[in-house]
Amino acid sequence: MTPPAPAAGDAPPLVTTRGLGKVYGGVVALADVDLVVPRGSVYGVVGPNGAGKTTLLSILVGLKQPTSGSVTLGVARERIALVPDTPSFEPWLTAREVVALARSLVALAPSAEAVDATLRRTGLADAADRANGGFSRGMLQRLGLAAAMAGEPTLLVLDEPAAALDPAGRRDVLDLVSDLRGGTTILFSSHILVDVQQVCDTIGILRDGRLLFQGATRDLLAGKAAPAFTVRLRPPFDGVVDALEAAPWVHLVERAGLDRLRVTVASTDAAETELVRTLADAGARVVGIAPAEVDLEHVFLELTG
Amino acid sequence: MNLWRLEWFRLLRTRSWIALAAVFLFFGLLGPISARYMEQILQRFAGEVSVTLPPPTPATGLEQYLGNVMQIGLLVVLAVAAGALAFDQPVERAAFYRSRVRRVWTLLAPRYVVVTLATVAAFVLGTLGAWYETVVLLGKLPVGAMLLGMLLTSLYLAFAVAVTAAAASVVRTPLAIVPIAAGLLIAVPLLGLIGPLRDWLPSVLLGSLVGLAVGVPPVEYVRPALLTLAATAVLLWLAAARLGRREL
Repeated sequence: MTPPAPAAGDAPPLVTTRGLGKVYGGVVALADVDLVVPRGSVYGVVGPNGAGKTTLLSILVGLKQPTSGSVTLGVARERIALVPDTPSFEPWLTAREVVALARSLVALAPSAEAVDATLRRTGLADAADRANGGFSRGMLQRLGLAAAMAGEPTLLVLDEPAAALDPAGRRDVLDLVSDLRGGTTILFSSHILVDVQQVCDTIGILRDGRLLFQGATRDLLAGKAAPAFTVRLRPPFDGVVDALEAAPWVHLVERAGLDRLRVTVASTDAAETELVRTLADAGARVVGIAPAEVDLEHVFLELTG
Repeated sequence: MNLWRLEWFRLLRTRSWIALAAVFLFFGLLGPISARYMEQILQRFAGEVSVTLPPPTPATGLEQYLGNVMQIGLLVVLAVAAGALAFDQPVERAAFYRSRVRRVWTLLAPRYVVVTLATVAAFVLGTLGAWYETVVLLGKLPVGAMLLGMLLTSLYLAFAVAVTAAAASVVRTPLAIVPIAAGLLIAVPLLGLIGPLRDWLPSVLLGSLVGLAVGVPPVEYVRPALLTLAATAVLLWLAAARLGRREL
């Protein structure tokens, strides 16, 4: 896949890969990936489990070597920080010590103020002097982020940062990522598409090790999704589903809740002229009809399905 | 906080230093006593059979100490070293370190040096205990020979930790590292079956403390000391090279 070239006058991308491939004992984990991560972006790498997301990120941070292709980084390795999906530290280190150690590993001068500021920013100020061995999963995730942020990275690589968190923890992590937008380029892998849609301005979709799409999130949502409508009905509506599915301009009918159908159509024009008539003919008790909000999940399923 | 301080904390907070100090000191205090009273101890279990042993000498006390400490004590050293040197487990923790340092030696050096220094300190502590008890129970030991013997045995311990580092570059978990390192250290003396190698092997240094105490000339230990130094350097280089290439 050819990556979109940066527009004239744009800063060069922070990360570029060319024909990146990785094979594990005959199994292709990545194939011919041309990734372009714009400087200052929040780039979401999405894909199902086993798509190659972690392998891709591991190669970018130098933890794995590619079998083929090349990686060009517009930043020194020391300025890249990785947060794995389940951060782990020596359990007898306090949160303060972990953050201070993370600073020293990238040769930043010791600074108690900077360490305290990072702990406050990640909501760990109250646990600063506790050994991390007793931390919950959410606190460890925050500590992973704190350790990454302590190094004042130019590129922050987050591998499934919210995958195992409760809703509040997930919200916190996404807020932190949003806060970092602008100052730090963020590469964010996830299979939670709602998260990606919320925080990422650029998206790459991986499946079976191949990059199926890469570009701005808004372009993906605007250009790739088939038009759809949400129809609110009073149940029962089995007959309505049959009638809609029989219509030649209907692509897909899905139940989207107890009183809703999501109707994906071949063309907006056809739907606008035929949808109401078809519902009326089927005897549907219509409460409301509205264009369906395009979400990443549907685009993703269309691209990878 | 830095990687050297981290290793110091590892020793303190995982209580590894207690395990090291305790095992060396225990055998240091036990060796000369058991040498002094071996005949009486055996007689208690021998029943009607009369047990007669040659009179114990100061060297016998050291022999008892080293015989125990270089088996059980060395296993404790390998376990402590493996715990520190298995830095690719768990993978998430390894990612924290490896994604932030450019050269693996930055990670390896403090782990190797701190464990080696702690091991040598524990050995010196145990040997001082054994020396004191030997003097009290069995007689004097030559000071110069003792100091040189401690230095040479410490060199062997540094070699043993380097063997552990090399093993850690082959396998990842402490449970796998320890038997491989122990197997290699057991295999080293077997090389002595090849005639010309016998006088060069690092394991010769294990006998240096007793040997020097009974009058073996120090020059006898020059060749194994040189080879042990070289082998230690090569093992560390090998470990760094392999760990540097290892993928997570």
